[in-house]
Order: sequence, then structure tokens, then C-alpha cells
Amino acid sequence: MKRVLEGSQAVAEAVRLARVGVISAYPITPQTHIVETLSDFCAQGRMNARFLRVESEHSALASLIGSATAGARVFTATSGQGLALMHEVLHWTSGARLPIVMAEVNRALAPGWNIWIDQTDSLAQRDTGWIQFYCESGQEVLDTVIQAYRLGEAVNLPVMVVLDAFFLSHTYEPVDVPEQEDVDRFLPPFVPRFQADPENPCAFGPLVTPAVYMEMRHNMAQAMEEALRLYPEIEDAYDSLFGRRYGTMEALHCEDSDIVFVTTGTVTSTCRQVVEDLRKEGEKAGLLKLRLFRPFPAEEIRRSLKGVKRVAVIDRNFSFGAGGIFAQEIRAALCNEGNRPVVFGFIAGIGGRDVTTDTLREIYEKTKEREFPEADSLWVGLQEVSHGT
Amino acid sequence: METKKASADPIPLFIPQTYTSTEANKTGSWRYLKPRYEEKTAPCSAACPAGEDIGKIELLTRDGLFKEAWETILRENPFPAVCGRVCFHPCESQCNRGEFDEAIAIHQIERFLADTARKNEIQPVVMTGEERREEKIAIAGSGPSGLAAAWFLTRLGYRCEIFEAREEPGGILRWGIPAYRLPPDVLRSEIALIESLGVTIHTGRPLGPSFVEEARGRFAALFLGCGHGRSRSLGIPGEDLEGVAEGLPFLQAIRRGETPKMDGPVAIVGGGNTAVDVARSVARLGGEPWIVYRRRRRDMPAFETEVLMALEEGVKIRELLAPVRLERTGGRLALTVQPMRVDGTGPDGRSRIVEDGPVETLEFAQVFKAIGEEAAEDWHRPPGKGGSVLALSNSTITVGDGSPVLIYGGDLAASVKSVVHAVASAKEGAMALDLLLRGGPENLTGRLEKYRVGDGPSLSMEIYQGGARSKRSGHVVRYGEINADYFQLAPRISQPRLLADERVRGFEEIDLKISANMAIREAERCFNCGLCNNCDNCYFFCPDMSVIRGDGAEGRRINYDYCKGCGLCVVECPRNAMTLEEEKP
Repeated sequence: MKRVLEGSQAVAEAVRLARVGVISAYPITPQTHIVETLSDFCAQGRMNARFLRVESEHSALASLIGSATAGARVFTATSGQGLALMHEVLHWTSGARLPIVMAEVNRALAPGWNIWIDQTDSLAQRDTGWIQFYCESGQEVLDTVIQAYRLGEAVNLPVMVVLDAFFLSHTYEPVDVPEQEDVDRFLPPFVPRFQADPENPCAFGPLVTPAVYMEMRHNMAQAMEEALRLYPEIEDAYDSLFGRRYGTMEALHCEDSDIVFVTTGTVTSTCRQVVEDLRKEGEKAGLLKLRLFRPFPAEEIRRSLKGVKRVAVIDRNFSFGAGGIFAQEIRAALCNEGNRPVVFGFIAGIGGRDVTTDTLREIYEKTKEREFPEADSLWVGLQEVSHGT
Repeated sequence: METKKASADPIPLFIPQTYTSTEANKTGSWRYLKPRYEEKTAPCSAACPAGEDIGKIELLTRDGLFKEAWETILRENPFPAVCGRVCFHPCESQCNRGEFDEAIAIHQIERFLADTARKNEIQPVVMTGEERREEKIAIAGSGPSGLAAAWFLTRLGYRCEIFEAREEPGGILRWGIPAYRLPPDVLRSEIALIESLGVTIHTGRPLGPSFVEEARGRFAALFLGCGHGRSRSLGIPGEDLEGVAEGLPFLQAIRRGETPKMDGPVAIVGGGNTAVDVARSVARLGGEPWIVYRRRRRDMPAFETEVLMALEEGVKIRELLAPVRLERTGGRLALTVQPMRVDGTGPDGRSRIVEDGPVETLEFAQVFKAIGEEAAEDWHRPPGKGGSVLALSNSTITVGDGSPVLIYGGDLAASVKSVVHAVASAKEGAMALDLLLRGGPENLTGRLEKYRVGDGPSLSMEIYQGGARSKRSGHVVRYGEINADYFQLAPRISQPRLLADERVRGFEEIDLKISANMAIREAERCFNCGLCNNCDNCYFFCPDMSVIRGDGAEGRRINYDYCKGCGLCVVECPRNAMTLEEEKP
């Protein structure tokens, strides 16, 4: 049934439909609407779940590790500083091979305090062993959360579903909320492949010597590869029931474009408009929307960008001393190709600043006017500031 | 440690697991702070002159163990039904919950427990000493102190005989406090409880000063709890005129069953509880009561709630009027009064009053004098300081040469004139006498110290008799030591009460009994300061699973082999029943 939902509510509806058994979260803007809605669902009896109120994000995830080890399907949500506080436990979750699903609402890190979108919080966690999806719309968020459980449980890895602060978390859109029985057909109850058993007590994750640790990590690497291989099959199953698919990425006009934007999150929607306008003006412009970031679909990226002359990567994030993180990843994916596009890295919309059609046109012009970028990262829309004390 | 490879289908899963116990790692050796269970003293119990174990009483009430709660009161005070009604409950003013929302209605629960036991005719099991003592004790007066002295001394193994001048025991409780505050059958049942221990009460047997000599050889000690037998005089002309009467005998006449008809305005001179009781009785008998008081209403020594109820019942108060003289004018009494005003504070801490303007004259049909009472006979009063005189907090003891030990208790010896202080004086006197007869007079005050509740001066019979309470620390738990995060705001129960126009129709009891539900709900509000109520917070919060819950009465203990001394249990204990100390090597 189509309903007008906030992005946060779309997450909550998906968690309800996934029949999650334990929710543990600590409130932080802009994630709070997600857990508030879930708390209501629990209080109203619309969900048969335990809602754990904890004293920190660290405890939120730690308590889910216990719950998931006991065999429950679990959920948490956080943002910015909250995710940073979880960092240690993020590693533990993936190392323990627990298919925990988290909604991560991108929020800029302090100081200065800023509750608006910036992707650095989730990208700073790219090496924690979590699968990461970046979403564009409320519908995509709902569908991705449901898919995340199936994918995570298939490969025993945790999944982070990332959405933009406010532009997605607090924006109302029409969302098709599937029927419970259809979701049940797609997502059967969680059957853990290992589980804590009070009859036969044991400790998980004890001291592991150099003789086996490397194999553990290699095992995780294999699982990540398996996730990349498995995801299209999962989408096939989803598509057959619900008629929607998103892919690990979406390539728009890439096959006959000279310049292709690479985007993530809600900037994509604006960029779709700009690309259509540019093409009407006779420009050979295209769009590559990146969705799955970990595992990184490098092969598909290379395939999609074959024949493209220049790539304009838009990063709403920054790795200080290196550059935009998506641009680095795209460069790395392309570097061994013989006939590869030139990668232009643009930094835009940091800390919630708008990325408008004008911003994107400026990026397009800057990419078009030079054969090679004047720097690895070009900051777009910077204002003159006085650095007074 | 063993590692296990799960099946390779659909993808390999490599999960390290260990089935080896970690018990060999005795993490207790890391500890430099050590938690322990240490029950402490609740401020209410330290503030109760009778030292009642209030935190425990509320805990038992909460659990519906009404008989056990009642018996816990009886260990320290034989008058829960009386004190639940007439005590000014200093316990409640010290209640830590008062700093959170409102104090626990301790007196209402106390009364509920006693009334429930009476209604169901329950016989209590009270702690008595094993030893039967040879010595007999005589007690002069069957007021609250004399009766309580018999209660405590009998439980210490002594045989007690009470000598009462009037035809029925009870003293001020029977003859002074009006029935609307204390119905006679309530008192009778508590006196019967004292008698059931084997106490003999001789009524109609006034004692004279010669009794001290007569008792030699028959009684080892004489407890004097004679109280105030005589009203103070006003010291003004005309106070002996017809129509001018004393307050206390008026109340006594009503308690005997008389219902003197009253009509027209009646003056009651005074501001204490007797004055208020007389005024309210006058209202019930058809008169129009006017309290005439020298100071301001707020300076009246009477209990504030009693004053407020008196006003509701139509009693009027004329403040700042000092009586000058009384005259008869026709059928009326003319009371001439001197208006006063407050001029700073006197050396006693009370407001100082000075004359203010010309005298005025008020006309009344009748006048009652109720400005205070004094000892009926000089020998009732405790002697001043001397070699053989030992003045304690609420009692005075003189050790004679072969003659009986004299213990002065009750209103004439206590620090405050109240029923519960009379009980306190009886307990102090009884314990001091027992110590004296067993171990001589050496350092009597020092030897009593061990039995104090918290920082004193209240004493505990349970501690004296080596009961469970003696294991507690005397540290009085203050509000700052309560973990208030564990409590939710909840209103105090209100006192169900007759309406003002129902009250003045007769001498029916005004305050009604509360239901068991209300009592339990109110007791649930109690913080149980310093006492373990088995909430299990320590158990739930211990990250080392080192809190062990016993199956039976042993309660909880700490497994120090594994306790790392993090102190979480102590911090999360809502009621400060645990203590964290530095580990001693």
C-alpha cells in the first residue's frame, strides 16, 4: 500500500516487516525518529520485539551482539558521534559474524556541532567489515533494509543502510509499504548457523593465536566477496515479489557519455535532473549512482565506465590529507585499466550545505573545461571567510 | 581453547569458540576496592524517640506481612495503635522521601498495622529475654511511661506491679486525650497486651511518698511515671469564681462519660494541646469556643494539625491577649485582657511579647484555664543533680543505699512532653536499670551508648537483646546517599477523615482507618533507607556475576574470588545498603 512516509518511518516500517526481535538504540539527531517510531510499534503491540533502552551507542550495539548471539534478529540505528562511539563494537560485530542491521543517518562530526548531512561518519567505518548501502529515496531505504537482513544472514556479516540526514531521514515521500505475508515469503525467520546455548555454555571470540587469526580474517574477506556475488540473486527474488530493484549501482546514459557524474545518496536525484537537462542541450553527460560501497563493486564500475572520457566524483565527505573518499575508491578501481577515464574529485555539500543544480552544472563545466584536474580534490562553492579569533 | 570450523555450506564460517572455564582466573586479585553488604540506619528510625525500626516495618508492610510488621513495632513500642493516632511523628519530618516528593505517611501505616492486628485478634510473638529475674519492680502510675516501663522490664525478665490511683489505667491517654483522637477501646487493647505478659495493674491504689520506704526489701526498684496531675494557675484575680474551671478535669469528666451541657461563648485560656482539646470538646457539647492566647497563633505549642482541625470545627482564636482579671457581671464572666505585641525574640527562642495599648473586656458564659500542667506532688519530680543522681536523656535514676533504685520517667523527666517520649523514657529507664542490676552503676551512660539507634538519643530494645538489628551500622542514611534514579514520583496517601460538621456532632474518632491496599501502596513508596529489600540491583549489575543469591535467609553475598571491586553494585544500590571500602591487604 502506498503511504506518505518520512525516510525515518520507512526504515521503521521495514524493521517491523522484517519481524525484528530486539531493538537497542540510543537517541541521536537525526536518527531519533527511526527509534521513536519503533518504540511506538513496540508499545502498541504492532511489533513483538524487546526494545532495550541503553546508556550509549556502544552499549546499544554491544547488547545486540548478545541478542544476536542468542539467535535473535536485531536492529539499531545511529548517526555521527553515535557511530563513532560504536567504532570498537563495529569491528567486534563483523568479527563475530553477526548479521546485525543498522540504519546510519549520515551526520557531520563535531566540532563544531552540526546535525546535517556529511558522509565522513559512515565512510570512516568502511574498514570495519560491515556491508554498506547508500540510499537515495524513502522507497529505496525501505526495500534495502528488508534486503539487508537476507543478505547479512546469508553471509554472516553486518549491514549498514546509510541515508542522508534530513534530505532523506526527515523528508516525506510516497512509499509503497509491502504486505507482511509477501515480506515473510522473501525473508524467512532467522535461523542462526551458530548460537549461544545455555545447555552447553561456551565463550565466543576468545583469544586467537597467530596460527588462526589470519584465517579468520580471510574467511571474512571471502564472505564479503560472497555478498557481492549473492546480492544480484537476492535482488532477483525481491524484484519478483515487489517489482523493484536497484542494483549495486545504477548507470544512466553511461554507454554514450563523455562525462559521467558519480554520486551517492540524495544528490543523485538532483543530478538526474541536471543530466537530463544537459543531454537536451546536446551534452554527452551521464550518471553513475553508487549504492553498494562495501563490498566495493569494482568490476561493475570498470564495466560501466568503459569508453567514458572523464568522471566527476561528488564527495560529501573528506579524508584529510588525501581527498574525497569515493573519488579515491573510483581511482583505485580504474588504475589498472589501459584506456581509463580521468577522475575529477569534487567536494560539495559538506555539513548539510545544499548541492543544487547550479552546483552540479559548475562541476560539469569544471570537468569539461580541462583535460586533467588542477587538483585531486576541488572544493565547490567555498565562500570567502574571515578566520578571526 | 578449541576452535571449530562450521560447515562449508553455503559459505565457510570460521567462529572461534571456547568451552574452557575461565574460573581459574580469579579476578578478585585485581581488586583494590571492596564492596560489602552493610545495612545502615534510616533517618526516620533515628528520629523516632522510641527508635522504631521504621524502614523494616514499611518493608514488611509492602510485602503484606502485617503481623510481622506489627511485631517489629512492638519490640520498641507497646503503643502502635495509640502512637499511630496521637504521636506528632518526628519520624516523618526526617523522612528522606520528603526531599524527593512527600514523606511516607508512617503514622498512618503504624495505626493500620495495630488496628488490623486488633480487628483480627492476633497475638504477637514478642522478643523476651530467656532469663527470669528475681527482682520485682514497682511502677507508680499507669500512664504511657509506666505501662511502657512494665512492657520493657517484663521482657527483660522482671516481675512488674503497677500502682494506679484512678479506677482505670492509662493516665493521660485514658483521661486527657479526647475520644475523637483516641477511642478508649483502642487504648484498652494495648493495655491488655501489656497485661498479657504477666504485668499486674492495681487500680485505685495511689502511692504516697512513704512508699519508697515501704518498698524496701519488696521491690528492687520503683519507676515513677506520675506525669502532670495538676493544672497551673493563671495567677489573676477572679480565677476561682464560679464558672471558671480547669481544662484537664473537664476533659477527664468527659472521658468518664459525662456530657456537660454548654451554651454561649466559652473562653479557653492557653495555647497548648490541652487548650485545643478543651476547645474542641466545648464545640462538641454545644458551646461556642474561643481560645484566648497570649502570643500569636503560630507560637501555640499545640500540634498544628490539631489547631487546623479545631478551626475547621468552629473554634475561634483570639491571639496576643494576656488575661488580667475575671469578674462576674450578671450571669456572665467578664475576662479583662491586655493586648500584646511581639517584640523580638526572648532568650528561650520564643517570641517576646510586650503590652500594647489599653486593656479590653470580653464576656463569656464560662472560662477554662489551660495554660499548662505541673506535678501533683513534689516527690513525683526527679531530684536535681547530686552524687547518686544520674540524669539521662529522658529519665533520671537515683541509686539509694539499700532502698529501691528510683527511676523517674514520663512527662516529668523526658526532654519533650509527648507520648512517644514517655515510651522513650520508659525504655531508657528499663535498660539502664537492667544494666545497673546486672553490672553496677559504673559508666552507665557509656554502656547504654551501644544500644542507640544511629546517632541517638533513641534506644533500641532489639539491639539491646541482640536481635538482627544489632548487626547494622549506626550510620544514618541521608537523601544524598539514596540513588533516586530508581524511584518515581508518587503522591502520599491522604488521611480519610470525618467532615467538620460530622465531627462536631459527637466524640466519634475523626481519622478513619486506611485500607490494606492503601497501606501497601504507601509502604511501597518507602526508600527503605539503608536496608536491603532484595531488589536485586546488585545481582543484575554485577559484571562479574559475583553477587550470589542465597536460597534462604542468608540473602545475598559476594564471591570475592571474582569480584574485581568495580563498585557498580554499591552505586546501583538504590538505598545505600552496601558499602565500598579500600581493600585492606
